[in-house]
Amino acid sequence: MKKLGIGLMVAVPIALFCWACTLVFSAPPEPPFDWRLHMSQAQHDAVVALLNHLYTRAAYTVTWAIQLGYLAWLGLRWQSPKQRSAR
Amino acid sequence: MKKLAIIVYVLMTVALLGWAYYQAIYVAPNDAAQGEMFRIIYYHVPSASVAFLFFGISLVGSIGFLASRRDHAERAQMFDAWALAGAEVGVVFCSVVLVTGPLWGRRAWGMWWTWDARLTTTLVLWLIYVSYLLLRRFAAGPQVQTLAAVLGIFGALDVPIVYMSNRWWRTQHPAPVFGGGEGSGMDPAMLPAFLWNMLAWFAWGALILALRYRVEREHQKIAAEEAERALQS
Repeated sequence: MKKLGIGLMVAVPIALFCWACTLVFSAPPEPPFDWRLHMSQAQHDAVVALLNHLYTRAAYTVTWAIQLGYLAWLGLRWQSPKQRSAR
Repeated sequence: MKKLAIIVYVLMTVALLGWAYYQAIYVAPNDAAQGEMFRIIYYHVPSASVAFLFFGISLVGSIGFLASRRDHAERAQMFDAWALAGAEVGVVFCSVVLVTGPLWGRRAWGMWWTWDARLTTTLVLWLIYVSYLLLRRFAAGPQVQTLAAVLGIFGALDVPIVYMSNRWWRTQHPAPVFGGGEGSGMDPAMLPAFLWNMLAWFAWGALILALRYRVEREHQKIAAEEAERALQS
């Protein structure tokens, strides 16, 4: 049970970080400078809105990846002095 | 009683974070110019504020350690634990700033990074405190705490430079939203979400700072016991 808890504490931040990377690197390419030659205003706005959405989600996700990753590391450090003193 | 107070505080902090997230994503309106991207401000700016505060705590801890290390050994250890906890948790929040900033910059400016004053001074601040933590982790000997305290004091000198950088120099980074003179400020519809997130991240920061302090005090206690045993044997 304890091992499962530790595994989850470590796995969740890693999964969040991978998810944030996926959001950014799977995003569609930026509209080119001369986008008016290739797409309509509505298509352009849709791509920009999607990119904004993905990057915002990525920022929120990576924030939690860092915070929970640190919390997991702190939890492991919290355990280690207790184990040392028990020995 | 103390345990109950801690549990209540943890639950309140988690609830606050949930409420602040709801405010940031679902209640605050989109920015007229940047659209949804502007919502990064609700995580980016509170993280920077918490990092600055914790580097300040590290500064106070470092000064306290240097002032009391000769006459009050126990008090000096307590100050040292606060200095280390402040620096470490400050680095965590500063890392959030340095990751969310480029994500925002990529969409707003079309680039991940630029060597302008605000970004560069923030990176230097982060590097100073990472070197502080590396010193604490890898150096050995009786002078480590003293050297770290001196580095912590010099590191904290960069905080006002980071804060003032986009006031002193023309930067790619936007002018300050708060206290930036005429024309600065936030739309009143966005302000509640911003303030909730400030409160929630300060509460979260205080929680992990206290946890880190406690862990360090435990380490100090065990190290002192081991040293005592070694002397006796």
